[in-house]
Amino acid sequence: MAALVEVEGLSKRFGRVRAVNQISFSVAEGEVFGFLGPNGAGKTTTIRILLGLLHADGGAARIGGQDCWTAHSRAARLFGATLEQPALYGFLSGRENLRLFARTLGPVDEKQITELLGTVGMTERANDKVKRYSMGMRQRLALAQAMLGRPRLLILDEPTNGLDPNGIHGLRILLRKLATDEGLTIFFSSHLLSEVEELCDRVVVLHRGEVKAAGPLSELMNFRGYKYRIDVSDVDRAIEVVRSVDGAKVEPGTIKDSITVTSDQNVARLINHALVAAGIGVDQLVHEQRGLEDVYIELTGVSAGSPLSAPAGAAPPPAPVGVGS
Amino acid sequence: MFFGLVRNELQKTWRSRWIVFAVMAGIFVLIAGGLYIYYVVSKDRWSPPPPVAWQTTVREDIANNQQQLDFLEQAKQQPNGDVTGPSKGFGTDSDLDSIIAQVQQQINDDQYLLDHNIAPVQSFSITLAALFGLGGIVMFLLLRIFGWLASEQIAGERSDRTIAILLSRPMSRNQLLLAKAVASFLISLAVVVVTFLIIYAIWAFVQGSIGPLTGDVGVAVDGSKPLRGSNLFAMPIWLFVLMCLGGAMLGVLCVQGMSLVVSAVFGRWAAIGITMAFLFGAPLVSTVVGAILFAISQDPNRAHFLNYLFVNVLAPVSALTPVFGNGPAGPSGTGMNEFGFQASVLAVWTVGFFVAAWLLFRRKQETG
Repeated sequence: MAALVEVEGLSKRFGRVRAVNQISFSVAEGEVFGFLGPNGAGKTTTIRILLGLLHADGGAARIGGQDCWTAHSRAARLFGATLEQPALYGFLSGRENLRLFARTLGPVDEKQITELLGTVGMTERANDKVKRYSMGMRQRLALAQAMLGRPRLLILDEPTNGLDPNGIHGLRILLRKLATDEGLTIFFSSHLLSEVEELCDRVVVLHRGEVKAAGPLSELMNFRGYKYRIDVSDVDRAIEVVRSVDGAKVEPGTIKDSITVTSDQNVARLINHALVAAGIGVDQLVHEQRGLEDVYIELTGVSAGSPLSAPAGAAPPPAPVGVGS
Repeated sequence: MFFGLVRNELQKTWRSRWIVFAVMAGIFVLIAGGLYIYYVVSKDRWSPPPPVAWQTTVREDIANNQQQLDFLEQAKQQPNGDVTGPSKGFGTDSDLDSIIAQVQQQINDDQYLLDHNIAPVQSFSITLAALFGLGGIVMFLLLRIFGWLASEQIAGERSDRTIAILLSRPMSRNQLLLAKAVASFLISLAVVVVTFLIIYAIWAFVQGSIGPLTGDVGVAVDGSKPLRGSNLFAMPIWLFVLMCLGGAMLGVLCVQGMSLVVSAVFGRWAAIGITMAFLFGAPLVSTVVGAILFAISQDPNRAHFLNYLFVNVLAPVSALTPVFGNGPAGPSGTGMNEFGFQASVLAVWTVGFFVAAWLLFRRKQETG
């Protein structure tokens, strides 16, 4: 599928600080794309370059083939965006805010505004001033603002900020619906790894201004290999047998009568065959899916607890890992 | 779409700063009420006096000058040694001749105006309102308010973080800047016109007449010399009012351009602070420096350059005002020539400010 967002060798410095360093990735049309990284990783800088708020020092950022800085107006026709803190005019009502932003696109479509207010569940409070809204309500109105003009791409920077669990669940359903029913491309930046895991088809993990990993979520989860838990009748003999299998590494099991095996390749069948041939009873062999959080911590060396941040004096992150994007 | 953007800016300014306009309206009501009470107390009457035609006033001037001329001629006949005679205090004969010539010239000048039906510029309520409403203290204060509002145009959005979402919309920064400038100008134009009409109403009350709106007024070409046939620029009343309005709005544009430069770079409070410091500080500094220069040289023209250095935004209209003179420049140099020159200087500053605002804003990196 054609790339809607293209980022090639993008770099940006603020004085001596290198916010983004030669990053490259692309987002295909219709994709739900996750953008991950701890605070200071360069996510917001990248998003601001895409939105035309910052000018990159090097490289290119294009949306729909249009340069985000030099052809901003044309690129901006293709996307709608929300920022980390929903920026709205507090002295205007929700409906007036939408009208105001709609005028930046041309004539105001009142029908669409009413529809969008309904979509984000803000119909009842549409005529209240935004300064009386909760953070969650502002987020929902900001999302409606982003959807004005029916863009092909939604760029959402931490859209779950301030939402309660119900709100987060509702947002997830809405975004999935937009992606599947309307074919909308979604660029989703969030610190909630579980949300990204549930929502996104593909992710980029950014750390200290560099891309640490990029690719389909399923590949990313396994890109450091496979992990199995095997419940056996004789642990000691099983360890010996599994060690003889090419590429398999044995780790102590966390459960009694079990071993943990990791490998760069899928060796489940080989291990099972070797154990059975050696007369060792195999109660079960489980392919343990690694969570995004595990991968994230491995890549960035940063705990994925909330809020996502690199602890002071944290150990340097592991070396970059090349992953097909 | 551009008109939509202008409408957005008008809506935002009105909805977020309506209290400023309400306070301004309140101040106008208080001023008008205060003036009326002062009028009632000082004149001991509740209604305005009967109107007096400008021709009547000029004829009275001619009659008074003629009386003075007769008196001076009489004094000239007296022997110099007669210290009790009417020539006492006039000095030598040549001094007396000079005064007689001046008075005679004044009579001729007034007669010229009568013969050509050209009124002195301060003859009508509407021209007085134009001079003092568009070039006086009220405008001085309004300019500061407009500067404040313009300084918030971009800086306020930056502080409220709405600038980011606004700039991410499909429009160019040039369009946004222009929309903000046009909206600021339209708001200030509305306020200035309303202010002018209120001041006109006050003058009309004091003069007892709204006065004629057609006819010609004469403005000195060189304001340092008397208004006469060889030093006179005649124009219709409406054109004179429009000229004053144009001069005042040029000053407004200049202030707004300067405020936008500051607004393009800073956040809300820094922008307001810098703009206000400049707008109040510049006249203060120029007044103090002007007073010092005058004290040293006794020549008001020595301080004239301050008008250009400190962007005296009231200069074009006050250049026409024959009563108050022209700020640091003192009473000399007022008139059409000065108006044109001051307006040109102001126009250069204005263009410079807007170009600077454009250059700064189009490349501004919005990081926060």
